[in-house]
Formats: sequence, structure tokens, C-alpha cells
Amino acid sequence: MSARYGFVIDLDRCTGCGACMVACAAENNVPPAPARATPRTGLTPMLVHKVSNGMEGAARREAFIPIACMHCGNETPCVAVCPQQAVEVDKATGIVVQMPQRCLGCRYCMAACAYHARYFNWWDPAWPVGMEKSLNPGVAVRMRGVVEKCNLCPARLHSAQEKAAAAGRKEIDPADYIPACAEACPTGAILFGNLADKNDPVFSAAHSADAFRLLARLGTEPKVYYKSQEAWVKALAERDSVRPTEAQHG
Amino acid sequence: MKFSRRDLLIGGAGALAGLALTPVPWKLLSDVSIWTQNFPWIPQPAHGPVETKYSVCTLCEGGCGIRVRMATKYPVGVAGVRDHPVSKGALCPLAFAAHQLNWHPRRLREVRHAGRTASWAEAQTAFVKACGEGPTAIVDARPGRAVSSVFEAFTRKHRGSYQVVLSAESQALTPYAGWSGVPVTSLGYDLENARTIVSFGVPVLDGWGTPGRFTRLWSERAAGAADPQLRLIQIEPSLSRTAARAWRWVPLREGSEAALAAGVARTLLEEHLVGAPGPMPRSTLAEAAAQTGLATEAIRDLAQRMVENRPVVVIAPDGNPAIAALNVLLGAVGAPGGIVRKRGDVPSHVSADPLPGSFRAVLVDSTVPWEFAAQNDAEVFRFAAWDGGGDSAGWLLPAPGFLEELTDVPTPPTSALETYAVAQNLVAPPTEIRSAAQFLLQIDPTLPAVEKVIHARCDEIFRTRQGTVYGEHPLAVTKIYSAKHLEEQLRKGAVWMGDPPSPGKFRCELKEWPADNRAANATCWAASWAPPVFPPLATKLYQESNLREPPAGRQA
Amino acid sequence: MRRILLIFGLGMGLALVAGWTAFPRALYVRREQPLEFHHKTHSEKSGLTQCDSCHALGSDGEFQGIAGVETCAGCHAEKVGTSKAEATLVDSYIKPARETPWLVYSRQPANVWFSHAIHTHRAGLACQDCHGTLGESDQVRTYEQNRISGYSRDIWGHSMSRLGRAPGDGMKMSDCEDCHHRHNVEVGCLGCHK
Repeated sequence: MSARYGFVIDLDRCTGCGACMVACAAENNVPPAPARATPRTGLTPMLVHKVSNGMEGAARREAFIPIACMHCGNETPCVAVCPQQAVEVDKATGIVVQMPQRCLGCRYCMAACAYHARYFNWWDPAWPVGMEKSLNPGVAVRMRGVVEKCNLCPARLHSAQEKAAAAGRKEIDPADYIPACAEACPTGAILFGNLADKNDPVFSAAHSADAFRLLARLGTEPKVYYKSQEAWVKALAERDSVRPTEAQHG
Repeated sequence: MKFSRRDLLIGGAGALAGLALTPVPWKLLSDVSIWTQNFPWIPQPAHGPVETKYSVCTLCEGGCGIRVRMATKYPVGVAGVRDHPVSKGALCPLAFAAHQLNWHPRRLREVRHAGRTASWAEAQTAFVKACGEGPTAIVDARPGRAVSSVFEAFTRKHRGSYQVVLSAESQALTPYAGWSGVPVTSLGYDLENARTIVSFGVPVLDGWGTPGRFTRLWSERAAGAADPQLRLIQIEPSLSRTAARAWRWVPLREGSEAALAAGVARTLLEEHLVGAPGPMPRSTLAEAAAQTGLATEAIRDLAQRMVENRPVVVIAPDGNPAIAALNVLLGAVGAPGGIVRKRGDVPSHVSADPLPGSFRAVLVDSTVPWEFAAQNDAEVFRFAAWDGGGDSAGWLLPAPGFLEELTDVPTPPTSALETYAVAQNLVAPPTEIRSAAQFLLQIDPTLPAVEKVIHARCDEIFRTRQGTVYGEHPLAVTKIYSAKHLEEQLRKGAVWMGDPPSPGKFRCELKEWPADNRAANATCWAASWAPPVFPPLATKLYQESNLREPPAGRQA
Repeated sequence: MRRILLIFGLGMGLALVAGWTAFPRALYVRREQPLEFHHKTHSEKSGLTQCDSCHALGSDGEFQGIAGVETCAGCHAEKVGTSKAEATLVDSYIKPARETPWLVYSRQPANVWFSHAIHTHRAGLACQDCHGTLGESDQVRTYEQNRISGYSRDIWGHSMSRLGRAPGDGMKMSDCEDCHHRHNVEVGCLGCHK
């Protein structure tokens, strides 16, 4: 039976610490930024945005929204526009797989992605001397000129599949496959699982009353759900941008 | 036959046609395209099998258990350890990239003195000479380790003085130590049994203590609930991450924490919200309101909220006595859910920043924050794995980096229960690296070796016959058959946690409300992080995104 | 006209000959393996008849690859024979605890993921199905490296035209795809790439 891997991210639990961002970068051999990188040119396959209710003083409320590839299930925009077929929706897992080695760097997919979840390698990846010894062997390193994005940590999926095969099992053990971001979250805000499995906790979380998706009106059927009990947070779901309007730090 | 240029052209055309029927153009196309995807300057990960090993992170006092994936000699990934009793499977954001720290551009790889390269032999000679000429101090920011006893042994034998720099988290417990006579290292916060936690600007959800301990607790009992079991009241001027997720945020004016504590105390006493009598603050409620910028009603409401859902405990960012006095008034000292006494009294030290007295030489351990300055006249022997920058007239001695040194991890200061773990070294350090303990042992081989001290401690724990060793499965100490077995478990990444102490009360004598009105120190993010540099991937958090402010005085 | 055809044919002929003979020879450089390892000697003399005696799967199903020096040291900690190859092994690699720098015929680019466990356990393939009679080798096959791409000749396959290849000769993506197609096993990009 094919799986549909996805997330339910509890925005009431996300503290904006950024552990998911660092864990993602470490797992996927994302290089540290060169001196001239900025938030616009950086490589952050998992990116946590700070949002507020727009008020000041004691009435101000803030929340954090982790955004990575939504793994859109319907008329996936990036898949539709890619001239190289460098991205496809994997039939067995529902993961939207980006193959940077096939990419020619036209960045059409970056324009097509409504969630700004794709990032361009403006520069060749560079690590301080010797640091390449710390690279994760399960993930290929990209080069400049290609687009990359969250692939739901395929190295971890592969390990789980290999472990299952060696043990004589056809299906992976769900406990063996968890992307770096979900594993890293210190509050357990990121719940990962198979949305096609009714017994998976992520299924009931995604169907709960407080769950919503960003820009659901576009109809791309993202596999990343969010939940919150705060009305002002839920109201952000259909807004065009979750970027704060004023310069924010801290 | 005469060959003309025309013949050449015709022959050439024939050759081209023929070439198309050979593998040449097709194979060249294929090979060149493969070549363009394998440029030699793009780093490649190592080949070969990957093993999983366990150890403990030592980059702050938190003592988080870590699961390290090793490709033969080097770590290629760090993750938390699920079910770890101290860290609950969580890590701070920086830990996930800590395995890359040992190659940080600012890694110290050679002995340096007054701006030029020197040798260990020279440093040793200079240190021995200095010890002979006058009193020396050894400064340690993580007392209680096996290494610390080597330091203490050295200073005892060689006319020296062992000095400790306490972290802000430890300093926050000093008032209670002063009022009760119980050593600071014996005190901790019993958060698990509290139902209201009042934090005066302490980032309890963003890197305080052992990060996973409170984030998991809060996530289970408070997150997303309108009427949570565990109420977090965050008192601070700006909307920090912790304040944004807290049950209530009290935005007081900067620097007015002591005034607010006094105002709340007055309300608690005047409105008989607390059982036992206590010293009345001198300031009035109106004065407190004026200083904090909060309405008197808001202060009274805060007092009400604090006692509504007990037990309540107040957490201060440093040794501010007024905030500590509030805990005494609330009955949170020596009671479940409050400031508790851990088993076993380890002698404490007064924080020595700046150093008391004058010294001929000062040896500074690598755990001491980079900003610590010994006095101007002392010759400084600074152990560090990374160069924090700035002028250095003294000695910079390259110390072991992440997972390069066998060391032990005593109970984190904020913990309510005693714990002990061994941070096994998983990586061989570069050749020029030496730890402070090794340095001192070379000078005086009669000092105890770190391994021996750890061995002795494991022996001690085994003989107490109490507590549990949490490795792959929890194992009661009573079921462990030898001290060696216990040590083996710890060396493989297990952690020992003591049984909860028998309810022994300790009392704080508070005769009058503290007059000290100083402001509580705000802490920037990653304040507990010991190294003067951040892991390079930290750029994701502040340079490649707007998520956090760039770190104060530190570089990735 | 005849002359034109003759010259044209001459040019074409020369190109064909050069393209099919000189080009392959020039394209590949022959490299020596660090030592002469014979599978046959090991299976006959020490009873190591199973491939996985030295080429095993780890605890998580990860293929351990060519045996490391630690495995060789199990029998060769000291010299047990008289061959030059063993002397090299013991003196240059086992004693100084250096890994033998084997040239791997099947080395794929970094973005390729091939799982031995899935092919041997799930697909039920025998080692011989892809590696042929390698397990009975009594000499070390020359390693031919493509000067441009840096990969072994085994990836393209020995035949330049890629026609008439023996099973196992040729490890390009299309070869993997062909076998998958024959056995009706569909995997997307995610199935083989990392």
C-alpha cells in the first residue's frame, strides 16, 4: 500500500528555537552561509518564520511557523513547470522528490512554489578545511546552479528500507523513519507520519478541528498541516505571505 | 595523384560522417556531462559504514545525552537520545551542528604566546616557573567534574588557589544557599511537581538548564491548553520566545524586577494569600506600580495568579535576592515543586569573577567563558579549543574540542535529582592538543588521572546501592553486579540518576526583605553555550533567516 | 566523382577505425590494484566459500563493502604464505592499520543509492547474478579508469557500442532500469537516488 508521508505541526508548541532548521541542514549536507549570503539568498530547506497578530505592547502576540516543502499532492506546481523533469511525486511515498543533479537551474519551480519552499544554490558549497569529513554519507552534495528543497530526508527512508529488507520485512518499521526536523524538535511540535494510515497519530491530528493548511484555497493539497487553538494564528492560513511586515529579530 | 585542399575537405567530411558512426561523439558527450557533475572542488562525504555511538554533550552544563553517527573516525551527525532522563531526547539548536565545530576556522591548533607560535614545553616551563614565584590560581567554570578534582589536588599541593566561576543558573540559587547554609550545588528546581512557574525573564523554553527537560514538560502539560495543568508566567520587558508561549506574559519595565517582587510580596502578605508570615518589603504597592509601569491591579492580580494553582516556584535569572525572597514567602523553598535539596552535599564555591586577591599566574580552564578576564598583572595560561578573538598577552593553549576528551558530567545545576554521566571521547584530537589535566599531570605525575577519578566515582555510586542507570534499558543499581559494569554502562552513554531524596526540609531564614534593588541580568540566546564560537550552521538561524538576532560577540 | 567518393570513403574509413580502436584505448587509463587478491585461493585454502564471510551486511542491513584490514587481519595478522601480495598486505596495510586503497570497479556517483540488502533479501538475487564468477577469480582484473569522467570502465560496460553485453557488464542508470523493467519492479527517483 502506498504511503502519504506528511506533517502536522502544532503552532502552539513551536517556540521558534530553530533546532529543526539546524538539524535539517546538518542531515542534508547543506553548507553554512558564505559571508555574503542573506535571508533571500540563504539555503534553508526548513525555515521558521516569526508571525504576529500585528498589535503592539501588552496586546502583542507572536507565533512561529516552520515552513518546508509542502509535498503538494494535487497538480504539484513545481512538477508541472520543470522543463527537466528534475522533480516528481514519488508514487510509493507521496514525497515530492527534487533531484538537484538533473536540475538546470532555470528556477521556474521557485516561482511556481506558492510556499517559497525552494532554494537556489547561488554558490558552490564550501566548508572550512577538513569539515567535509563531517558530511552525512547518506546524502549527495549539490553544486551551484541547482535548486534544492526538503525531500523528507530520503537518507533516513533509505536506511529504514534497508533495515527492513535485511530483517526480511517488506514494509518499513515506522519508528525507523523520522526526518531530522521532527526528531530534533524539543517540544514535539512537529509530528511526522503516514497520512494514508488511519492508525498513525498524524492522521487523527490532521483531521482534528484545529488543523488547517496554508493557502488551502490553491488546491495543491499540501501534506503539511498545522494546528493551533489561537484564532489569530488560524486566520493567517489564507494570507498571501507569512513574512512579517516590519524587520524582525530575536 | 595530387592532393588538393578540396580533397582534404572531402576527406574531412567523410571523417565527420564516419565519426558519427563511432562511439567518439556520444561517449565524449556522456563523459563530459558526468565530468561537469563531479567537479573536484565539490566536497564529497566519506564512503563506508556508519556506526552509532552514545555520549554526552559538554558544550554547556546541561548534560544532554547525544546519539552520534560515526563514519569510522569522525562524527557525521548528532541527535538526541529518546528516553534520556536528563534531556528527554531533546537538544538545543546548536548541538545538531556541534560535530562540525572541531573544524571551525577559529579552532586553536597550536600553542600561542603573545601573538606568536610557541610550544608546550615552553608553556610548561613558564608555568612551573610562575608557580615557584608566587601563588597561582586555577579557574574552573564547571566544578564537580573529575577534572576539577585534579585542579583542586594541584592547587593544594603547589601553593595555589582553586577558583570557580559560577554560571548564571548556579548564581540564581546562591541566595537560598546564603539563607539556609545548604551548599548551592545541593539545590535544584523541582519543576516536575510544580503547577505554576513564574520566570523573571529566564528563557525556560529557549535554552535554560537542560533544554529538553522543561520543553518536554511544558509541551505535555501546558502547550495549547487554555487552562493548562502547568501555568507558566513569564515576567519580562519584551516578548521573548518564552513569553510568546507562556500562559501569561507580564511586560514590566526593564530593570524593575526587584520592585515587582516587592510589590507582589506586599500583596501576598496584606491580602493573606500565604500561610506563614514573612518580612514586609519597605516599598508600597504604588511605588512598585510606578517603577514597573504596571497598574496596581495588575500586580495584585499577578499575586493572586501565583497562589491560585500551587505548588508555585519562581525562577530568577541571577542571584537577585528580592526574587529569591519571593520564593521563600511563597513557601517554595524546601517543598515539592519548588527549590529542593538534592541528595549528597557537594562543597560549593563562591563565584570568583573577578578573582579575589592577586596571583602570579592564572590557569583558565576551557569551560570558562571567553569574556572572563584575570587581572592585568597575572600571567594567564588560557586553555581553549577555539579562539574567541581579542588581544592575548598570555598563553593560548589548544584544548580538546567536541567529543575529543574523556570527561564526566556531574548533576546540572538546575536539576532536582542527582545524575552522573561519562562523556566518552569518540574522536581522536589533533596531535598538538592537550587538556588542562594532561598539562598538570605532566608537571606533577603524582596527581590523580581523570580516568582514575571517574573510576572512583563509579565505585562510590555503586556502593550507595541506590538510583538507576539509564542505558538502552533502565537498570536499578541494585541489579548491577559490579562497579566495573556500572562504569562500562556509563562509558557507553548511559546516565545514572539518583533516587528522589527523602523528604528532608531545609529552611531559609529571611529576617527582612532584601534591600538590594539591582536589575536582573537579561541573557541573550545561547548564553549558556561555553565556546566563544558558534557552529558554522548556526548561520541558518540569524544570517540566512530573520529568526534570531546575530549572536552577541560570537561568530559562526 | 569516383575520386570524391574515394576520398570521402577514405576519410570515413580512417575515422571509423580510429573511433573504434584508438579512441577506447586512449580514453581509458589502466591502473593497478594495490595487491593481487585471488578469490579462488581464499575459498580453496581457508574454506571461505560464502561471499558474505567477508562481504557482509551490518547490523542495520548496511553493506560493509570490501573487507577492511581488520577482517583480513583475522587470518593475516602475520604472514601465513609466501606471496608478494600477502607481504604487501601485511607490511603496508595490516601492520600500520591503514585501509587498503582498493579501486572499486562499481563505484557510482555520490547521488546514487544502491542497497545490497534490498537486492539480495527482498529481490532474492544471488551474488553471482550481478557479479558473475568474480568469487572464483584467480587473478585481479585490470582497473580501467575513464580519463574524463573518472569512473571505471565497468560502468559503461566493456563494449563501446554497448551491444552484446554480458549480464553484469554495464552499470549505468539504463542498465538498472532495464533489469527493473524486466522484473516489473517500479521505483521512482527516490528508489535509487540520494
